[in-house]
Amino acid sequence: MTLPDPKKLDQIARMWNHRGHGLITEMNLKIEKVATDGVLVRMPFNPSFCADEDESLLHGGVLTALLDSVFGLANLVAIDRISSMATLDLRVDYLRPARSRADVMVRAECYRQTRHIAFNSGTVWFDEPNRAEVARGTASFALMRGERSLLDAMTRSRTSK
Amino acid sequence: MTPETITLQFRKIPFFRFLDLKVTEFDDTHAIATMPFADRLIGNPIMEHYHGGIIASLMEAVAAITAKSGRDGQPPKPINLTIDYLRPAVKGPLIVRATVTRKGKRMASVRTVSWQDDDSRPVAEGLHHFLVV
Repeated sequence: MTLPDPKKLDQIARMWNHRGHGLITEMNLKIEKVATDGVLVRMPFNPSFCADEDESLLHGGVLTALLDSVFGLANLVAIDRISSMATLDLRVDYLRPARSRADVMVRAECYRQTRHIAFNSGTVWFDEPNRAEVARGTASFALMRGERSLLDAMTRSRTSK
Repeated sequence: MTPETITLQFRKIPFFRFLDLKVTEFDDTHAIATMPFADRLIGNPIMEHYHGGIIASLMEAVAAITAKSGRDGQPPKPINLTIDYLRPAVKGPLIVRATVTRKGKRMASVRTVSWQDDDSRPVAEGLHHFLVV
């Protein structure tokens, strides 16, 4: 396991925890572990993400959005000097109904990077004793490399507000 | 069912209230819905683009309407989805059209496309499978 540069890690954590608006803020994501070979993120239960009136079944789309977000984080951690990044395609298998009010856990990795493309895979489960896998996803991202890093831009746009 | 009654039913679903989607067209083979832009749907805070996962969520929601098994009205169970992202979705409403490719006794296959101002410039295309038993 390779740990990324602590300064970069701190920057990523600050950006994620204080970005102010957008879906990732709404999801209240907590970074639990980060390494260049994978990240672990927790999403607390949120009734507004449910697909039923009882508010105990998460909508599949939430898990898809969660995987997409955490793939992005895995890429930021694993790849240096990304100036911008865009999801090319995303594929998700729903392995069982997401029926629980427990926190959702996601582990995601960038398992291959080239100059232009990042390949990701990830898995989703509830923070419950059986850890049954609820969804699994893969994605590829188009990478734009450059001197002006995405991280710097995001951190700056936050502090300038 | 009319688009209005579906939209009203959708208001009972917490996540569809979060997306704030409105169904504008609906029949046996297709459905169209629109979603207004909101801060909570942003993925890229600098450019203010929609989050890719939210685009996928809207596409799945609209696909599910068309896959719905008629009589008992049970929601179909999503099996998987594949989304092809073609361009960024910018500030402004997002529209999704879902078209049933095949609906059998057990499975439904649905294609989706989303766009903003111009339906010849799609933001994303999707392929969705549902279990409808």
